[in-house]
Amino acid sequence: MRRWWHRWFRTPGELEAMGVVGINMRNARFILPNNPRRLYDLVDNKIRAKALAEQRGIAVPDTYGIVRSPKEIRRLDRMLGDHDSFVIKPARGSGGKGILVVSGKDDDRFVKPSGSVISLDGVRFHLQNILAGLFSLGGKRDVALIEYRVKPARVMTELSFQGAPDVRVVIFRGYPVMAMLRASTRESDGRSNLHQGALGIGVDIATGRTIHAIHHGRAVTTHPDLKVPLIGVQLPEWDRILDIAVTCQEMTGLGYLGVDMMIDEDRGPMMIEVNARPGLAIQLANGVGLLKRLRPTDERAKKFPDEELRDKIAFSRNTFAARIVGA
Amino acid sequence: MASRIKLLILVLLLTLIGGGLAAYKHVRLGIPMIVGDKPTEWLVEAKVTFIANGEPVTVRLSLPTVAVDREKGIGADARSAEYSFFVDPDPGQPAAVWSSDSLENNQALYYRVRFPARGVDSAGSVGERGEIPEPTDPGLSGTLRAAADSVVRRAREFSSNPETLLVGVFREIAAIEGSQEISLLKQHYEEVSNGDALTLLGIDLLNMAGVPARQAYAVGLNEVRGAQEPQLFVEYHDGVYWKVRNPASPASTLDPREWFVWNRGGDPLLEVSGGENSQVRFTTTRDVIPMDRLTDLKESGLIVSTIFGLPASERQVFRYVVLIPIGAFVVVMLRNLVGIATLGTFMPVLLALAMLEMDDLGAGLTMFVVIVASGLWFRFLLSRLNLLVVPRVAACVVIVTLLMMLLSVVSWHLGMRDGLKITLFPMIILAWTIERMSLIWEEEGKRNALLQVFGSLVVAVIAYLVMEQKQIRYWAFYFPELLLVLLAGIILLGRYTGYRLSELMRFKNFEEAA
Repeated sequence: MRRWWHRWFRTPGELEAMGVVGINMRNARFILPNNPRRLYDLVDNKIRAKALAEQRGIAVPDTYGIVRSPKEIRRLDRMLGDHDSFVIKPARGSGGKGILVVSGKDDDRFVKPSGSVISLDGVRFHLQNILAGLFSLGGKRDVALIEYRVKPARVMTELSFQGAPDVRVVIFRGYPVMAMLRASTRESDGRSNLHQGALGIGVDIATGRTIHAIHHGRAVTTHPDLKVPLIGVQLPEWDRILDIAVTCQEMTGLGYLGVDMMIDEDRGPMMIEVNARPGLAIQLANGVGLLKRLRPTDERAKKFPDEELRDKIAFSRNTFAARIVGA
Repeated sequence: MASRIKLLILVLLLTLIGGGLAAYKHVRLGIPMIVGDKPTEWLVEAKVTFIANGEPVTVRLSLPTVAVDREKGIGADARSAEYSFFVDPDPGQPAAVWSSDSLENNQALYYRVRFPARGVDSAGSVGERGEIPEPTDPGLSGTLRAAADSVVRRAREFSSNPETLLVGVFREIAAIEGSQEISLLKQHYEEVSNGDALTLLGIDLLNMAGVPARQAYAVGLNEVRGAQEPQLFVEYHDGVYWKVRNPASPASTLDPREWFVWNRGGDPLLEVSGGENSQVRFTTTRDVIPMDRLTDLKESGLIVSTIFGLPASERQVFRYVVLIPIGAFVVVMLRNLVGIATLGTFMPVLLALAMLEMDDLGAGLTMFVVIVASGLWFRFLLSRLNLLVVPRVAACVVIVTLLMMLLSVVSWHLGMRDGLKITLFPMIILAWTIERMSLIWEEEGKRNALLQVFGSLVVAVIAYLVMEQKQIRYWAFYFPELLLVLLAGIILLGRYTGYRLSELMRFKNFEEAA
């Protein structure tokens, strides 16, 4: 029932009843005990995470080059070769900071997905900023990664105003507990940060269909710019997506993590990055409190400590299936 | 669960130790818990420093007459290892004398005087024993003598007694467009003496005019200033008594709440034999420990082992340092319980400290907003030059520095003196704030950038308001063991897993999917 105060806030009791996890709880009960500090560098450093994923046979975007020192910026031309589209990101960037996406070339200049152009010098300057540690945690010196720009699958682009949507799966103790799709809007300007106006679309763990969507914390059913329905869309290769997510958990050893993936038109799901401190908006996107999933998972993990990956996925798909899947 | 019990035991232990120590100090040593319970008192500490050169050392520091009287609630003590010490109690010219044979290197000697905060009349009238003193002739000659004579003659025309003469002489000296004679004399005195030339000139002129006058030294009762040089004042004889006045405001008698006259009677303030580079600096602090308890307290290990075992000049540093944990506590509360987003975790504490130093919230906030806003603008101009990160921040520091200088000058001319007290304003922090803000501006939009800056400001203001509370400052300074209780509180907050206030609003639209 909607009460007058729901316009302004929810009481702690109401949130608790819905199983909503707050930041303090996430940090104290799920991140601190399950994610040992020493494992952080593994995921915070995208180069290491990618190398590890490749060993496990997980698809990742091809690396065109790694810029480790200002001297190597001069070799940018050679690294890019004849690739017209590419992504530059800091190896230790956090929260999507410092990512430069180039979607094409116009004479000597590069074109960003939004249509604005950037010169070769502009790209070099961006690389220098990355090397100086502008985007890394604590301002430490960093390394820049130049890689393949994912060509998103048709289903995905239809849900997004520019930009490529990504899929995030949150894994707890090896079990997928929740998933969401982040799609950009005109307002979010090609980015997929929810607080900048991107859409958060909850995805059913059992089937890979979208079940619920939010924009600025409110439930919506159609894309605000494209007007396409957001509910009931089937994501391609859902089995593979869950597989990658669970494998990423195993290779990193983290107990609580978010695995971000993109679905390439030709090559299918690709691991983009692993996040050791996944955010809480995923609960809003799914309309389900995380605690409702984390608690049963914890019990299951205690009861069957050595379950196979396959069985873990099966448990999650059975237990966390959405009750009603939209049309 | 075991970790939970450990945590509780730790918290309990910290609270017990901190609270117990504080209770002991309160009950057994009589240090009041509530500020303003007992009258405060001033502690004036003279710190004599010099470099001993290996010969026998004798240091003679002239003392205020009131320090030797042992009445009117005045206490005094000296601290100095390796020296034999005595007070020469000559009632007119008391002095502290330290002596030692063959010392080397830097030496520091301390002498403290404490008296009630309402001040003591250290500038009052003192009668001369024996005959009425004669003015001493300064021994000027030639053109200087003629110039001085004409100044004195003019001053005499407008005055009938020593007071008005004094006022007239110092007014003439202080006048911006003085007569030719005065500028001649000023020039001469500035060449001959090393500092305070104008006061010395005034004293000589008074003597020539027939009013006996000599040098006196006073200390400003002002906590904020830190170590200060003694101020040269004028002691003059009005025919019956010796009196002291401030040459900067000759017309009024000294306010005992503002000035304490340390040296009078014409003796030199400090004489050191066997050492060089000697100087004396004064530190004044307001203290609350009652005087009658002082002797017990000095022997208590509890006091000696804390900052009170330090000389006042060293202790001053802690006035702000002990407040930092409180600021940190406020930040923890506002971030983990309320959930305010800030730029950098402890940047607001530094900001609050800076405002505390300025002693003015409005000025501090204006300063911050003006500097950050214009810094941001310059930063966007700089970004067109494609500078590397560290030089860019350094450039920002330079701009922030210039802005602060400009702001000081402007506010000074507008008559706001607060602009001048910004030495502690954390410039590097400001520069980083500007840099980070401009990044957030570009990456996450201006809404987020402004929100975070605003959050930082709110946290800083709340931290400032808490740290500014007299009672809290008092506890932090006199009962630093209470910081252990604060630590216990922070540890407890560190285990809080409930919702933040901001989350109650963030999840207000939370709808459970059917």
